[in-house]
Amino acid sequence: MNGQDPNNEPLSRVLREWRVKASRTPRFQEEVWRRIARSEAGGERVWWKVCWRWIESGVRRPALAVSYVAILMLVGLSAGLVQARKDAARMDEALGARYLQSVDPYQAPRH
Amino acid sequence: MRQSALILVLGAVLGLCAYCGFYFAGTAPHRARIESQTPELDWLRKEFNLGDAEFERVARLHDAYKSECAAMCQRIDAKNTELKELLAKADTLTPEIENKLAEAGGLRVECQKNMLRHFLEVSRSMPPEEGKRYLTWVKEKTFLPEHRMHEPH
Repeated sequence: MNGQDPNNEPLSRVLREWRVKASRTPRFQEEVWRRIARSEAGGERVWWKVCWRWIESGVRRPALAVSYVAILMLVGLSAGLVQARKDAARMDEALGARYLQSVDPYQAPRH
Repeated sequence: MRQSALILVLGAVLGLCAYCGFYFAGTAPHRARIESQTPELDWLRKEFNLGDAEFERVARLHDAYKSECAAMCQRIDAKNTELKELLAKADTLTPEIENKLAEAGGLRVECQKNMLRHFLEVSRSMPPEEGKRYLTWVKEKTFLPEHRMHEPH
């Protein structure tokens, strides 16, 4: 009990005079940054897990799963149609130019 | 977990298939045209809605004109080479260069007359409305090259 006495003057003096002389480890700063990076990566993993759980729960519902597949098909279909029209117009233009090259010597490619 | 992943992948695969299917179906006629033996004539047929008989006439005219056009190309190339040589040597406008420029100009006029004759024949082989449209288009693209100067670079 004597050790826990706040009026223990010698002990109080020793504690007042006590200075911690700890030196940093050689790669202290690098270690700190590594720990920060590790904790952030852990955070990202958690974020992904939450996101995946949310998707999973959605996909488990048949109506949502069918909608998801249908929407992706519609997006693919529309994108294919738009791209096809664009490329078809480009091919038409190229063929028109080719026709002109075949009838106009001043537009014909020179070798 | 596996079932969810399967649905996600299935959606992506079906979306991709829809894209590829519609893209290939949408460009199939054009790709076939490009790979044909006479892509420019096939294009002309489609663009100006030519029937079989009309297309046959146009193709005949085109073939006949082609050899004439090739000969003209050779003459133009030869004239350009001569002019290029003269221009490379000269640092003033010599009478020789003037003559060569006049010859090149004469050749261009001759070429344009041939072209116009051919275009008129082709347009007459098409249905009247299409022939008119063809003539407007081809004249603009060959005889009015000024429009290129106004195009943004």
